[in-house]
Amino acid sequence: MLAVALTHHLKLAGHFFTQEYSHAHQRLLRWTQGVLLVFIVTLSQSSESIQNYLDNNLQGLLGADAVLSQQQKLTSAQYTALSKLTNEVVVTQQVKVTLSHKGQWQQAKIKAVDNQYPLQGELLTSPTLLGSGQPTYGGPQLGQIWLDARLFASLSLKMGDYIQVAEQRLLVARVLHHEPDRLMEGHNVDMRAMVNAQDMTSLGLSADIIHYRYLIGATSQQITDLLKWQQHDLPAANIHHKQGEHPLALFWQRTENFMGLASIILFFMAAIAIEQLAQVHMKKDQFFTAVCMSLGASNNTGLQVSIFKWLIGLVLLLPVVLLLSTVFHWLIIYWLKETFVNLHWQLQVWSIVKSCSFVMLIFAVFQTPVWFSMYNTSVAKLFNSANKGLSHWFNKVSSILVLLAVAITYSDNGLLTLMMVTAIGITIALMVFLSWSSLTLGEKITQRFSGLLPFSLFMMKQRILSKSTQILGIGLCVFLLLFTLMLLKDLGATMTSYQRQHDGNIMVTQATPLQLTFIEKLAVEKKLTIRQAKSFMYGKLIAVNEQSLVEFSQKPSESMATFKRSVRLHWNDQVPQNNEIVDGEYWSSGTDSWQQISVEEEVMTDLGFVIGDRLTFFIGQQKISFEITASHVFKSGAGTITFWVQMPTAASMHIQASHYNMASLELDDQQSSILATLWQKYPTLRMISLKEITDRFDRILAMITKVISGFSLMIILLAGVVILASISALEAQEKKKNSIIMSFGFSRATCLKLNVIEWLVTASITGLGGVLGTYIAGLLIYQSQFSLTYKPDFIWLTFTLFVILFLVTTLGVYASRNNLRSSVRQLMADN
Amino acid sequence: MSNHIELSNIRQSFQTKESKVTLFDDLNLSIIQGESYAITGPSGAGKSSLLMLLSGLEQATTGQGRYVKAGQSQSLDSLRADIGFIFQQFHLLPELTALNNVALPLKLRGDKSALNKARVWLDKVGLSHRLNHKPSELSGGEQQRVAIARALVFEPNFIFADEPTGNLDQKSATEIADLLFSCCQENNAGLVVVTHSEILASRAKHIFLLENGSLTNRQIKTQSRDIQRAISC
Repeated sequence: MLAVALTHHLKLAGHFFTQEYSHAHQRLLRWTQGVLLVFIVTLSQSSESIQNYLDNNLQGLLGADAVLSQQQKLTSAQYTALSKLTNEVVVTQQVKVTLSHKGQWQQAKIKAVDNQYPLQGELLTSPTLLGSGQPTYGGPQLGQIWLDARLFASLSLKMGDYIQVAEQRLLVARVLHHEPDRLMEGHNVDMRAMVNAQDMTSLGLSADIIHYRYLIGATSQQITDLLKWQQHDLPAANIHHKQGEHPLALFWQRTENFMGLASIILFFMAAIAIEQLAQVHMKKDQFFTAVCMSLGASNNTGLQVSIFKWLIGLVLLLPVVLLLSTVFHWLIIYWLKETFVNLHWQLQVWSIVKSCSFVMLIFAVFQTPVWFSMYNTSVAKLFNSANKGLSHWFNKVSSILVLLAVAITYSDNGLLTLMMVTAIGITIALMVFLSWSSLTLGEKITQRFSGLLPFSLFMMKQRILSKSTQILGIGLCVFLLLFTLMLLKDLGATMTSYQRQHDGNIMVTQATPLQLTFIEKLAVEKKLTIRQAKSFMYGKLIAVNEQSLVEFSQKPSESMATFKRSVRLHWNDQVPQNNEIVDGEYWSSGTDSWQQISVEEEVMTDLGFVIGDRLTFFIGQQKISFEITASHVFKSGAGTITFWVQMPTAASMHIQASHYNMASLELDDQQSSILATLWQKYPTLRMISLKEITDRFDRILAMITKVISGFSLMIILLAGVVILASISALEAQEKKKNSIIMSFGFSRATCLKLNVIEWLVTASITGLGGVLGTYIAGLLIYQSQFSLTYKPDFIWLTFTLFVILFLVTTLGVYASRNNLRSSVRQLMADN
Repeated sequence: MSNHIELSNIRQSFQTKESKVTLFDDLNLSIIQGESYAITGPSGAGKSSLLMLLSGLEQATTGQGRYVKAGQSQSLDSLRADIGFIFQQFHLLPELTALNNVALPLKLRGDKSALNKARVWLDKVGLSHRLNHKPSELSGGEQQRVAIARALVFEPNFIFADEPTGNLDQKSATEIADLLFSCCQENNAGLVVVTHSEILASRAKHIFLLENGSLTNRQIKTQSRDIQRAISC
């Protein structure tokens, strides 16, 4: 019986769906659902492909069953303990140096290996530059260096050349094609070279800049024992194993979260569009339910038909969504191949099912108010189809709850999310205030004048409730679009101008005291300018309030990613000129109480630290605890070198660890040859030139541009849908208004003029609201998230305002042309 | 002669998928300002179409329509500024109060005393106590009073009413009919009512029956009877 009834309702829903298929409200709903589904399905497909790639890749490219890595060499006691756990251990040493040859230089990562290398997998090299990789057993002979092809090209090397590294001359002997433990380099694109382990010793490099990696062959049980031992004896070391997470997993999860967070904006817009369309759906479905009830059916009939109709719409949309998302998925995989070598496109059925169900569930929540109103409908609704009241608020609350859930799920950067949500909140409040005040004021001022403008303002003021929903919807889209575009434009501009604002065109990112003394001496001799020099030491955060970092926070974030490695700890006695304190109290000069630190505000927010928390760092070979007593932020205008963690000068005296320096230098073109001298003497000196900075920025910018452009396209598409949806929601009302105006003896041309004026006013309010919202968001987010001083370009903002005015008015007038196809006869027919 | 509307040899037809339908043929009619007319007839006979032709909002398939104003003959297009409509469904704007609904046509014309005039008209139709009520807060009869005030407030020469009492109970219908006829008479507006109601039609001076494509004049009554029955507007 029930099955028969359901089948009937399904047939009825199919019939209504076909009838309403070409109606504006159904078409707009399909667009909204389609755009969002394509976005989410593509995102999850790409994500799944990469996750699979990472899992498989981990098995084949670790070059060992487990890899233990740390900055220092294992002590003999530690090495003995490790050897007791497994007897298959191969040691590699890595160091970042700058190689120079005939006046050219290039930064590269040198790996020193012995004859045991590789432990697992294949090392591929070739004796000629054009040759293909041949399996090779054991590393380079003493006095030899193997380089990758890019390094050959960048230093203009030939096979048989000698290359000078520190005081050592090394023969260029082979081309390095592939290292089986390549995975450990992650998404690092450093150029690579390989030397014999004994040569590394002869280079006489400072022990603490060498990164040691122990490739270990082990069974599952041995890996478990190894993990226990590492946690207890070597808490600062990193360990990767075949049953664990890929080193790129965190990087990808953060990218995914960023995209997810960005998708909140799309969900937000979809919610606005669906909310606007729900008004039409509600009326239609409520009327149908009331008719059914007047014919003796229960309100369940209407409800079921409405749900079936909605489901049919989504099911028919799915093939198009799948086709489009498959194409986009393929394109993304093609693009990501640069980062994830050997990544292949593959259809992920389970991921499609999951993501479609998730999005459909959200759509269902957005649609709930329509069904809720159906459940509460009565035959009386036939006579009075008021749709406000409880369901109206239910609609708003359910949408906000869903958006919050999405925001919380995807939030990577708590502060950024909070600021974005705050900026949206402020923009909404601003737009409500602007709508109300400008319409009230406009109406009051123009009351004494005659004409169409005063009439339009009067009508808009009278219909402020329905009009403000439209203004809010369009205004928010304008704001979100404008903010995204502004961010893209300003990030690009800032990156370009950074080189000019930057204090110095060479940044020394790591120099030992000896190296700094040499640089200072050279500076005096060659008349170089040293702009800034700040000391630091490396420390790895291992515990927060006696809890390990992993236990304390599992939420991936920029800060968390950085704190998984060693970070720089700077010491000083006064707040640096380019910092200001935002919370807590900074120590006074000459304090003896050295176990206190100041942490950057964003890090505090991302990791959930509060003043008074105790952070334990592993510095040198010691565990040292600090109490957070202050929180600082970057302040522009006094140099760019700043640190996340700062401690009193007294701390540097108590802690036994190597000291380093960061500095910035100013070199003119003629002085650039000094760099070659510097690097030849100190290949481990980490310096980065302006050109490299610019190149890196360009690469990042190109990537950001691609991502943001694609994203902006989505927003523009949805903004268009929101405008059309808001027009569709008010279409019946507008048509009636136009018919009534015509019944007073006015022509269609008058209605068109009124329509244009109304859209101009709407566009002015939304444009102004959008621009002001963007300005506020800029003030809130720029400084805190990008350390940029927000300098709004008022000419650009005014220009944008006029563009918005033009576009919204044109689209509004064009899209509402249907409303003018009204006539007095329709009013007569409406009996 | 007063201002009047003239339709001569009018034919109105339209094409459906299957066939061509002719609503009326060779129709002649004159509507004089200050007089009242009722058009009755079965559903689908073309009463509303005739109303649209008379108001100049639609074009006849063949035939001629004229608007004679102050002795000058003009096309029906020029009639537009001189007409008002009253509908069965009232069609007030739901977001506006009674006062603003009535003031609407005046505001559109840029009349600075729109609200005062609207107040006077609402008083005339007996709704001075409902000025700030929205349509949803008014009864059907009250809504139609507002619609009458709105149609007459800008003093049009002709009023076209489409089933103005069709949605009302007998008592309200009688009150609305009294009000409509007396107000039009007081304003010297020509009134054309399309209705199924014999009672309402009987109030008009001229009663026409539109049936089978032709219009027949059923009777002409003296104006005095209407004046006696009319309540003050």
